[in-house]
Amino acid sequence: MLSEEEIQKLATLARLEIEPSFKPVVTSHVNSIIGYVARLNEIDTSGVEALSHVQGATNVLREDVVRPVGSSGEAAPLGESAVPPQEMLDSEALMQNVPSHSGRFIKVPLIVE
Amino acid sequence: MSDLASLSVSEIRSGLDAKKFSCAELTKACLDKAERLSSLNCFTLLTPEHALKEASAIDALIKQGKSAPLLGVPVGIKDVICTEGVRTTAASKILGNFVPPYDATVVRRLKTAGAVSIGKLNMDEFAMGSSNENSAFGPVKNPWNPEYVPGGSSGGSAAAVAARICPITLGTDTGGSIRQPAAFCGIVGLKPTYGRVSRYGVIAYASSLDQVGGFAHNVKDCALVTQAICGEDPNDATSAKRAVPDFTKALGRDIKGLRIGIPKEYFVSGLSPEVSEATRKAISVLEGLGATTVEVSLPHTDVAVSVYYILAPAEASSNLSRYDGIRYGHRAEGQLDLKSIYSRSRSEGFGKEVQRRILVGTYVLSAGYFDAFYVKAQKVRSLIVKDFTDAFASKCDLIVAPTTPTPPFKLGEKSSDPIQMYLNDIFTIPVNLAGLPGMVVPCGMSPSGLPIGLQLIGRPWDEETLFSVASAYEGATEWHKKAPAIAA
Repeated sequence: MLSEEEIQKLATLARLEIEPSFKPVVTSHVNSIIGYVARLNEIDTSGVEALSHVQGATNVLREDVVRPVGSSGEAAPLGESAVPPQEMLDSEALMQNVPSHSGRFIKVPLIVE
Repeated sequence: MSDLASLSVSEIRSGLDAKKFSCAELTKACLDKAERLSSLNCFTLLTPEHALKEASAIDALIKQGKSAPLLGVPVGIKDVICTEGVRTTAASKILGNFVPPYDATVVRRLKTAGAVSIGKLNMDEFAMGSSNENSAFGPVKNPWNPEYVPGGSSGGSAAAVAARICPITLGTDTGGSIRQPAAFCGIVGLKPTYGRVSRYGVIAYASSLDQVGGFAHNVKDCALVTQAICGEDPNDATSAKRAVPDFTKALGRDIKGLRIGIPKEYFVSGLSPEVSEATRKAISVLEGLGATTVEVSLPHTDVAVSVYYILAPAEASSNLSRYDGIRYGHRAEGQLDLKSIYSRSRSEGFGKEVQRRILVGTYVLSAGYFDAFYVKAQKVRSLIVKDFTDAFASKCDLIVAPTTPTPPFKLGEKSSDPIQMYLNDIFTIPVNLAGLPGMVVPCGMSPSGLPIGLQLIGRPWDEETLFSVASAYEGATEWHKKAPAIAA
């Protein structure tokens, strides 16, 4: 059984602040989930390999090529429903979703005193 | 003119080509219906300006005699799939203002096929849920009875099709999130084989399980939307280098002699009598069409939920660590140091179910527990894959089973007990763990007038057999013709 203190430790690791009123509830829920999934210990898995990819796929590698903004790069051969390849995005488009920025720079609080 | 929003894809395509109506009129009809049925809460965002502009452009193309498989067909997109210039939230406060600068590959493919998006569909936050009650936009209601859940996590995608707001929608399925809502709403849904469809631009929940798929009124429309989105994508290394067959050719194929496996572990206590009866009746319809049935055993069925609730939260806790309040998404207000920005932004942004799964994932991945939980679960996952491989190797060509243990449940009925909610996915989760294609077709109604869905499970990459069996079943039954009263 995980105590509320142990849940607090997990929350700190996961960078979450649990609302005080939610803490006992989430502690009981996490304990019931951990208790439920622990039934896997009853299964004999000696000699069984842990699965890494369901279809046994391996890494896909490509050349690391710089593509200019607006270019759509070399399209790999596609299946029948071919689509135009994605164009490279410019930084301005990407900055639109940054909560706080100055020009091309993301604003963050002081990190080093 | 009858209700344009209720038309099937084939009816739309022939109507547009014969100039019986314009794409603009059709799109307007779908948008109006969405507004009229706004109490179902299917959409997180309707995009009338975008949609009507695209519709006029398509009308011009049709005038020029252009053709494409989904040219002028209105669609809805689950709000976990990125759409360029259109807000995409994953039904989470943390992405409340997120406007993607690019389209997901599946969206580009739909556009290439000529579809017109009318808006973004409601869902459980980050696709975590089986009832659509975990949305920052509030729950979706089941069109058959608004006191009941539409299923989840793709609840909006299923409800919009069932309510005849638009003919096809996209959803995602990580543990049953297409198949369970398709069953609960009485429509057709398909989760393709893992790797069949690109996940590029799909907001990640559990990357080894997530797959995009389509919802439709009927099997043919489902084949058409599936066709449009499948195929390799250089932007997703897990998308498979495999030719995509023409799924429409599988429709209407004779199923005589096909061997259907009936997994005995799916017909145990906990399966409600009405679902059991509807499933057995559907199986005898398939036998009547010439298929043979054989009992198969999938011995690790009862531990699949445990495997899933280790692996999915583990992957989620890792995937969701990107939401830090710095680069995009919600940032907490006030003079905060860096760590407090992280933790406060995340706590203000994530709902309770998401926080719960992040905590479970963090626990099973933490030092000292990793082997006992995560590695153990990956080993049992290998056993679950083997269960299916063995059944398909010698005994059967596909598996037919119930989709859910019960018909739809009431809003609020299971929301206080996570285990009860999770067990609702007991028949759909194994299919994701094994990476198989899974399809649902409507196969009955409960005594209280709520839909029941039949699940078809295929060999890897064999969506064609599912389409053949589903279309044969549809041809012999009337369930797909039923629509909720609200859709009229």
